[in-house]
Amino acid sequence: MSSDYEISDDENEYYDEEDDEMEVDYDDGSASEIEVDAFGDDFKVAVRSERKLYEVDYTSLSQPEIEKIMQTDVDHISGIFGVEPAVAAQLLRHMNWNKERLIEKYMDNASSVAVAAGVELPPREPTPPPPKASSSRLSSTGPQRTTRRTTAENLKSSPKSKRTTPLVEESKEFVCPICFDDTQTEFMSLICEHKFCASCWKEYITSKVRTEAECKIACMAEDCNIVALDPFVEKALGDDRETWTRYQELLVRQFVSCIPHLKFCPYPSCTHTVSCPSAATKSSLITMVPIVTCGASNTHVFCFGCPIDTDHRPVVCAVAKMWLQKCRDDSETANWIKSNTKECSKCQSTIEKNGGCNHMTCKKCKYEFCWVCMGPWTEHGTSWYSCNRYEEKNSVDARDAQTKSRASLERYLHYYNRWANHEQSAKLSMELYTKTEKKMEEMQVTSELTWIQVQFMKKAVDVVFRCRMTLKWTYAMAYYLASGNEKELFEDNQRDLERAVEELSELIEAPIDPETIMTLRQKVTDKTVYVQKRNEIMLEDTAKGYLEGRWKWNVTVEGFDSA
Amino acid sequence: MSGICRARLAEERKQWRKDHPFGFYAKPTKAPDGSMNLLEWEVGIPGKAGTPWEGGVYKLMMIFPEDYPSKPPKCKFSPPLFHPNVYPSGTVCLSILDEEKSWKPAITIKQVLLGIQDLLNDPNVNDPAQSEAYTMFKNDKVAYERRVRQQARENVPK
Repeated sequence: MSSDYEISDDENEYYDEEDDEMEVDYDDGSASEIEVDAFGDDFKVAVRSERKLYEVDYTSLSQPEIEKIMQTDVDHISGIFGVEPAVAAQLLRHMNWNKERLIEKYMDNASSVAVAAGVELPPREPTPPPPKASSSRLSSTGPQRTTRRTTAENLKSSPKSKRTTPLVEESKEFVCPICFDDTQTEFMSLICEHKFCASCWKEYITSKVRTEAECKIACMAEDCNIVALDPFVEKALGDDRETWTRYQELLVRQFVSCIPHLKFCPYPSCTHTVSCPSAATKSSLITMVPIVTCGASNTHVFCFGCPIDTDHRPVVCAVAKMWLQKCRDDSETANWIKSNTKECSKCQSTIEKNGGCNHMTCKKCKYEFCWVCMGPWTEHGTSWYSCNRYEEKNSVDARDAQTKSRASLERYLHYYNRWANHEQSAKLSMELYTKTEKKMEEMQVTSELTWIQVQFMKKAVDVVFRCRMTLKWTYAMAYYLASGNEKELFEDNQRDLERAVEELSELIEAPIDPETIMTLRQKVTDKTVYVQKRNEIMLEDTAKGYLEGRWKWNVTVEGFDSA
Repeated sequence: MSGICRARLAEERKQWRKDHPFGFYAKPTKAPDGSMNLLEWEVGIPGKAGTPWEGGVYKLMMIFPEDYPSKPPKCKFSPPLFHPNVYPSGTVCLSILDEEKSWKPAITIKQVLLGIQDLLNDPNVNDPAQSEAYTMFKNDKVAYERRVRQQARENVPK
């Protein structure tokens, strides 16, 4: 089933490096606010105002701010073409907000663009208007019908009221062809003059907006492509402000999805947008990991470059995606079968040998063979229970392949177990959080410390959590790093961070003794600073490595030169 | 919404009884207690004359959702039909029956049924729904036609 949304076609086309210079300068270059003030007096080292290498420049925009940007574009187009703002908006939506292309195409053939966008009737109507509908209004609409087809001039000259306000009229004999409810008295139609009652319009638009999340609302008549413009939608929805708000949100989402340097916050029911021009091209994603936080909440952390909605630093998007894919699919299950089983050379049943001698008898076909060389047992002649055909080429090859796949499985499991372990520990630190809170209360009771002074515990837990996330992803990175000096240095950094994190973890879990509480505080505080520093070194060095092109992969990674 | 749904279906029923295309039938099913179930119709679509589908009347169930006519009815051949655009379940794949494609609330039951009748001898190869009819249609037109004729014979109304 093919869908004819044009968005998908154009998305790649406008993902080119050269194309990200938009005229609107809503990136005012303000440095990101994250982490600047995350720590109090105890943690002086962390506070540095300039942007670190592993951070990106971005701005968080609220829905009204995006709407303002959209309005600027609409006003611009509306001014150039001399059309109403609502028409300009629909033209822009139709062209996926590519203003330059819209202007170019519109100047070339205004009529065809307007027809395709659903703001103007096609040159010749396929069917004459229903006689019933026209009879009562023929005199008033007749002259317009002829002029309406002359496109651009018409869009310019037609009086405002004719286009934006829907035709509402009372008609005794007309019955809405949707509901056949003859008690309806209020009818509305778009410029195509297909009349339906107001309540059917409302029902239809509500259903489109709320259940289909669709902001392009075409006329209800069969084969009619005229699109309902915003003032019509608002009027039809009447007092249903909730649906109208949802409709406006959908319009913003459509706009954001069309602009490469904008991304909608993926957190549920969040309406913020992040603008990150430096990460708007695919090629930029091999030198940075654009982790951003939207302005709504500092827990709304996501990656600007890919659909992973957690902080996957220090791994670049393409590698992170490969790793997650590997963990998800069951290719490793197949690998396990390959390493741990053999197939009966006669009936191909899969056999796992869990003990006994090498004289195998297939349970299924009763074929007797040697587990070592896989040859028939009969050929082993008198040398029972010691296979003298071991060095034959075929068996050597088979064994080699098996050893290889076993080694690859072990390698994967090495990294995966550590990855999963950090993930698990990070989850557990949520539990630790509640425990820590209790501990902090306890501390306030058992010692002289004030509430402010026991905050160090909470901060330590935060740092452990963050560093475990970094560590987790370093294992994904290490799995794909080609071996060599660079990888060794990487793993040294990883080891230092890991050791520090584990030590800090231990300190946090330690029981509280009123006698030693001050030393504990000092220790935890010192360690936290140290761990944070290690984390920074880890992230900073990988980020630098990307910029220098220092990291080489053991597989082909999208965007990187193959090693 | 259910208000519109039933009122519209009642009107569709009225219009159909007044006038409908030759060879077709369409009637709401009966609930076990004998009352009429407007949300589920049993309809028959005749094959067009001069096509291999001629002679057969193909039985189809139309199932209307509560938010009809904002949403299209589901049309399902029963038993499933040998046709490239009919799913193995019998459901018809047609753009006017897809709310994200060409479905419009103004489309009537009559238009839907005529649309399906057109589809019978004019399958859309870009939207295959079952592999058997699709591959045969693509690779062996003669065998395909033979199969369609046989299906027409099996569906001659008694």
